[in-house]
Amino acid sequence: MSNVEFIKATDIQSACTALKNPGYMAVSGGSDLVVKIRNGMYPNLKGLVDISGLNQLNHIRTDENKVIIGSGCTMNQIASDHLLQDYFPVLVKAASTVGALQIRNSATIGGNVANASPAGDTIPALYVLEANVFVVGCNGNRKIPIAEFFISPGKTKLEPGEIIEGFSLLLRKTRGEFLKLGERRAHAISKINLAVATWNDGRDHFRIAMGSVAPTVLRCKEAEEYLENCEKLDEAAIARAAEIVSDTARPISDLRSTKAYRKQMAGVLLKRALTKLI
Amino acid sequence: MQNNLIKISFKLNGNQVETEVLPELTVLEMLRRNFRLTAAKEGCGKGECGACTVMLNDKPINSCLKLAATLNSSDQVISVEGFNEDKLMNNIQQAFVEEGAVQCGFCIPGMTMASYHLLQHNPKPDEHAIKQALSGNICRCTGYRKIEAAVKKAADRRQ
Repeated sequence: MSNVEFIKATDIQSACTALKNPGYMAVSGGSDLVVKIRNGMYPNLKGLVDISGLNQLNHIRTDENKVIIGSGCTMNQIASDHLLQDYFPVLVKAASTVGALQIRNSATIGGNVANASPAGDTIPALYVLEANVFVVGCNGNRKIPIAEFFISPGKTKLEPGEIIEGFSLLLRKTRGEFLKLGERRAHAISKINLAVATWNDGRDHFRIAMGSVAPTVLRCKEAEEYLENCEKLDEAAIARAAEIVSDTARPISDLRSTKAYRKQMAGVLLKRALTKLI
Repeated sequence: MQNNLIKISFKLNGNQVETEVLPELTVLEMLRRNFRLTAAKEGCGKGECGACTVMLNDKPINSCLKLAATLNSSDQVISVEGFNEDKLMNNIQQAFVEEGAVQCGFCIPGMTMASYHLLQHNPKPDEHAIKQALSGNICRCTGYRKIEAAVKKAADRRQ
């Protein structure tokens, strides 16, 4: 027998009410959560609230000048969406590098963000697209800029009784790159990952963010400003931006990689990304 | 301790079925224990190896990561057994045999499922596409070359 209560949520409000109880967790794709449960990481787990059946979370839609991505959208759903491919290639590329095909058919973007791993691949992409996180809860809704959503590894601003409803992105055409380094080319957790988005509204804008180089994803404003103010985006400029990014990274050594390697590769990844984009 | 078995209903290999599961039971454990369908295997139990691959609504997933209780009545699960009479699957299996792609065999049900999904969507995959499609499946007997050759053979034979 198990002590865990299982609740199949039929609407968002009842899901939130159930999640107010201590020890209750939301589950959708399960690709992170089930492994953690099996590894005994939640000894105080009392209940699982299944939100995978909440259809309103499973859509990508436009709303005036925004695109809303439901938190229940799977990585493959995002990777194969034509609108996202067209407007936000950085997110599409990030989603298509998560795990392998089987994982991408289950893993959701809401789960990737709520799990708050410093290595979560969609997070730097959401940073550079300046996404807002829509949170719903028993006491109403709130909107949190993605860069303010994370507190520390595994910890977010979500309160008990709250779930992520979705992410909103400003509907503007961007170009972008997402690069990651893992133990192998496919199906690997990032040793480091880096996202770049750029768009032009009369002048060039750059956004750069990287994961696995700090407790939460880092945005690299100094390098962005440097690129935006560059007279000419030539090899020297790219090299300088790479240096800045490398200096901004403050990684640790852990089971996946070392501090020195990550720091150096931050610059290398930026160089590779910019070379493709410029 | 409370009895918290959950009644679920879903489509399994073409038939609407009902069963009872505990909250933490995975689809893989349910297939093996409740239905005695043992083609899908538990290799790693954490979504790394793909030995547990089944189709959920025509898409390959790691059945070791999906909680059975989260299945909906409209969900359609197909395990390798569900493809027993399937021409494409039989073709793939035959090619695996002919190419000697099977060593210990533990990864093969998952490999054939991933191959099936590939050939359904890409009848003429090149080497890169084959590797890509099988990147979520690990063989610890180091038999990838023969497996890739088998997928290629299955594809060629379909033309």
